[in-house]
Amino acid sequence: MKSLLLLTLLLFVSACSEHLARVMPYEKEYFAEDKMSLSPIAERSEQEGHIFLIREASAGGESSFQGGCGCR
Amino acid sequence: MKKILLILLITLELFAAPSVGDKAVSFTLPNLYNLHHKTSMQSLKGKVVLLNLWASWCNGCQEEMPKFVALQREFSKEKFQIVLSSIDSDPSNAIDFLQDVDASKRLTALYDADKQLPKAYQCVGMPSSFLISKEGKIVKVYVGSLDDAKMQELKKSVLKLIGK
Repeated sequence: MKSLLLLTLLLFVSACSEHLARVMPYEKEYFAEDKMSLSPIAERSEQEGHIFLIREASAGGESSFQGGCGCR
Repeated sequence: MKKILLILLITLELFAAPSVGDKAVSFTLPNLYNLHHKTSMQSLKGKVVLLNLWASWCNGCQEEMPKFVALQREFSKEKFQIVLSSIDSDPSNAIDFLQDVDASKRLTALYDADKQLPKAYQCVGMPSSFLISKEGKIVKVYVGSLDDAKMQELKKSVLKLIGK
């Protein structure tokens, strides 16, 4: 009975496996499309950043190494 | 309890990804340029093979492709063959890219519409390359784009496997 319970528990745990929800590297074709990037037109991203800077009156907070708190 | 653990271990072993020392996954895939013509892993036995799983939308794959063309140029296809397996949803994207990089069609290009090879090898990154010996065993696994240092290492391994 105990082993049956353990087996059932294992089955339930395996159902939570990240493989069920994870997008595998070979399934990322549509993520790789230009339209999926935050700034689809590379030439415009610098200009957009400049406008953002003027509008918000603050620099920084765009790069990934910052927290995005706007405090720098 | 011991029995359950044993069953679990066997199950884990069965679902494990093929790694160094294991037999390469057997396949039969259509040629990218001519979908009616098929190539199988069995037909490549006796040659050292570099199986590269790639896609035209993958930047790393695009970066390393000219290096593969240069490497294939150094070896006879009878001894060492670079086999590309594209997983593009539209094969014309892969053909368009290869026409620019490998116009003389030196590389053997296959088309894996169902992504059966990345699934079988349980790829953790794109591109992924597998160096396979003449006996059909995986000798090395490369995940990600190969830089110049890794290409040199690969060339040395190929020469060793060929027996030069």
